[in-house]
Parts: sequence; structure tokens; C-alpha cells
Amino acid sequence: MVQSAIVVALVYWFINVLDQSFLSWQCLSRPIVVAPVVGLLLGDFHTGILMGASLEAIFMGISAIGGSIPADPLSATCISVAYSILTGADAETGIALALPIGTLMSSWNAMLTPIFASLAPYWENLCQKNIKAFTVQTLLFTTFVQPLVNTVVLFIAVAYGIEGLNAALAVLPAWVMTGLGAASSMMTAVGFAILVSMIWSNEVGIFFFVGYVLSSVTGLDSLKVAIIAAAIAITMFFGEKRHIDTKNAMANSSAATAVNDEEDFF
Amino acid sequence: MEKKQVTQEERKVLKSMFLRSHLVFTTFNMVKMEANAYTLTMAPAIESIYKDDPEEKREAYLRANQFFNTHAVPFSFIAGLNYAMEKQHHDNGSIDGTTINAIKTALMGPTAGMFDSLFFNCLRIIASGIAIGLCSQGNVLGTFLFILIYGVSQSVVKYLFVNWGYTFGTSFIDAVYNSGLMQALTKAAGVMGLMMIGFMTASTVNVPLNWTISIGETSVVVQDVLNSIFPGILGVGLLFLMVGAIKKGWRPTQLVLCILAFGLVGAFLGIF
Repeated sequence: MVQSAIVVALVYWFINVLDQSFLSWQCLSRPIVVAPVVGLLLGDFHTGILMGASLEAIFMGISAIGGSIPADPLSATCISVAYSILTGADAETGIALALPIGTLMSSWNAMLTPIFASLAPYWENLCQKNIKAFTVQTLLFTTFVQPLVNTVVLFIAVAYGIEGLNAALAVLPAWVMTGLGAASSMMTAVGFAILVSMIWSNEVGIFFFVGYVLSSVTGLDSLKVAIIAAAIAITMFFGEKRHIDTKNAMANSSAATAVNDEEDFF
Repeated sequence: MEKKQVTQEERKVLKSMFLRSHLVFTTFNMVKMEANAYTLTMAPAIESIYKDDPEEKREAYLRANQFFNTHAVPFSFIAGLNYAMEKQHHDNGSIDGTTINAIKTALMGPTAGMFDSLFFNCLRIIASGIAIGLCSQGNVLGTFLFILIYGVSQSVVKYLFVNWGYTFGTSFIDAVYNSGLMQALTKAAGVMGLMMIGFMTASTVNVPLNWTISIGETSVVVQDVLNSIFPGILGVGLLFLMVGAIKKGWRPTQLVLCILAFGLVGAFLGIF
């Protein structure tokens, strides 16, 4: 079991890194791609392909939006394909096994999210001081540090079962988890606050609240809010244009009169 | 608008930006989301524009490293456009930093919605459908077709977009600047940028208060009371509290640590 756990964890890690740096998000990490790869590595390519089809059909409608993943298709695929090939179980058994592991991974992740978020000011400073160091460090971080916890959790869960990991989580008081979760859902406000303080002007600042109300009260999605925003912005642009044109026309005519005055004078 | 000739150096920069634009989720975090990936993508442009101006370069990196979040494909269009804007900013000062930030911010919301529906919710389903059919017969061609239809297509569009964003941005800003309308554009971009941040604040920032005050027999859910005053008042309050702190000279590190402490202390006291 330990040997296959290593394979599963390594594939998980490798695909995780590759998905973030090659082609596009959620392309190489889909079951239809991952399952044949796991199958090939565990010596049963054919089963991998067949399971890829059935797992993709199951996970096709599940999308990860806003960072909350109902069931992580990548880890579920790694686990269920490995189990099927090694124990002869069918895809459903594998997924049933993968679901608690997925939940466990997101609990461990929930602890790290605010800690990774706390690094944002460090990155902001580093990219201004030394872009080479920034490049190297962000790439190393995203390759080795960010997927590390998930990979280790996956390895332990497949190799030794999930009891130990659950016990380790249970040691933490409940308020620590709640607090970290609350902190990470408030963290984005820091990013927005920096951005708002950079583009705020008293003249148009009130439009922040227009956008806010459109979302929080009417629940419109981004594209619809953007259309309303564009309509206001374009109206404003042409209003301003007319103002500038009039100003220029007036400046021109007064310049012309000034010239005439001079001619009269001489 | 006339089409601008792209020089050898610009072509090199755009190619490098295209390759780097694949790193969309590098060090994705809750504070600035894709900001680091955006900085990595903008780095070739910034290095080539501000070669001999360390102070301006520092400011350009600070602009690049702000909150950013959109779909991977328009990501490269906005980066290409931003390259054009940074170049104009340096060459003739036609566009200021605030406008660059505002345009960038205005674009990320709508493009995210549009391209998520287009690629993730539409093209991916088509690609999966074809691939599942083939793979269920044991044909690995399905997997390769999936990568081709859903993955390679996005890469190709990204390549076109980064170049298109650059040429479009250059001619657009030239046209606006030459007709003396930059002031109008600044204002319009500010309106749209702020509206989109307002929208994103409402949909992203969440103060998960879970606090019930019991007074005798009745109990009051604080979150509900506050939301009945104005929906999501806590999120917007938190945001402006921090804008105020930044104006007073607080550093982002302090803000992040305060939030972390606030979350933990709040949870310990039982209000979350």
C-alpha cells in the first residue's frame, strides 16, 4: 500500500504543479487526463482510460468556484484509480473512499490559507526590491510549499488510513479552525483596500457603493454589473468630452479675439 | 485607429509574457489572488520599459502586484494592454498610474464572468463529451482530444490576446491622448474600476459573524440585525476601516496580522 500511496501522491503533486503552469487551469487536472496517467504508472493503462471516462462523467458538472471545492476531482481520481487497479474495486468504491480524504484535505488547507495569505505583503515588497528573487521564490513556493500539505495528507491517508490525520486535527481546539476560516474570508478585504486607496477619488468614489449595492441587494453577476458600469462610464466619458470640447472652443475663440485686439491696437 | 508595427524587442517581450501568462495560479492567495502571477507576467514588460529608471520601475511593480482575479485567457489580454499602458506612461506620460490601475480593475470582473462561461462551462463540457465517448471504448485518443480542444485552444487564444491587447492598447491610448480626452478616460475608468471593486467586495469579502445575544427569553442574531440595516454592512465597513488605516500609514503586513488576530480572538470569544 505504501508503494502505491507514493505513486498516487507523486502524481497528485506533479499534476497539481503542471496544471498551474501549463495550458490552462483545470485542463490537465481533469479525471479524463489524470486517470490514464495513474493507470499507466500502476501498470493498467486500459482500466485507467475506462475509469477516466466514468470519473469525468461524474465530475463534469462539479466546478470549483471561489476556492471552495465540493469534492476535489484530482485527488478523488488519483485515489479511486489506484484502488481499482490494486484491489479490483469499482470506481464508486474508490470515490466513496476519496470523499472523506477530500474533506480532510480541505480542513488542513483551511488552516494554511490565512497563513499563505499573510505572505502577500512580503511578496509586494520583494517584487519591488528584487524581481529575480521574487521570480525564484514564487516559483519554488508554488511548486513545493503550496501543494505539500495536500500531497502529504493524501499519502498518509492512502498508506495508513485517515484516522491519524483526523486525530491530529481533533487536538486543535475548534475555535482555532473557526478563527482561521473567518480570517481567510476577511483577508480579501486587505487586497481590495490597497486597490481602493490607489484608485479612489472623491469625485467618483460614490460609484463604489453603486457596484456594491448591485451585487449585495440585487444579486446581479459580474457581467451584468459590468454592463451597467460601462454604460455609466461611457456616459461620463462623453459628458466630459463635451465639457473639454466646449472649453477648447472657448479658449480658441478668446485666443482669436486676443489676436484681433492686437491687430486693432497697431 | 491605425495598426501599429510591433518592433523586434516588443515581440520578444510579448512572447515572454505569453509564456509567463500560463502561471495564473502561482502563489494564489486570499489577499491578492492572482497578483503574483500577474507580476511575473508583467516582469518582462516592466524590465524592458523601465531599464534605466529604478524609481519608476518600483512603482510599476507595485501597480502590477495589486489584487487581480480573472479567467486565464483574458488574463493575457489585460497584461498585453497593461504593457501598452506602461509604455505610454513611460514614453510620453500620456496615462497616469491611477488610470492604469483603474482600467485593469475595470476589466477583470466582466472578463472573468464572460470567459468562465465560454471556456469552463461551455467548451470544457463539449470537450469532455467527446473525450468520454472515446475513452469509454478504451481509446486514449479521447484524452488527447480533450487536451487539444480545451487546453491547447486556450493557449492559442492567450497568444493572440496578449498581442492583440498590446496593439489595441497602444492605438487606443494614442487616439485618446491625441484628442485630449485622457482626463475623461481617467474619470470613466475610475467609475468603472470602483464599481467593479464594489461588486467584488460584496461578492467576496465576508465577515462570518455568528453571534447571538440572549436577553432574557429573546435572542438577537447580530448579523441579521446588521444586515437589515444594510446587506453586508460588515464587509464594506471592514474594507473602509482598512482604507482609513492605509491612509494613516499602516503597512499591509500589519493589516493582515490584525485580521488573523481578529479572526482567532473573535472565534475564541465565540462571535464567529
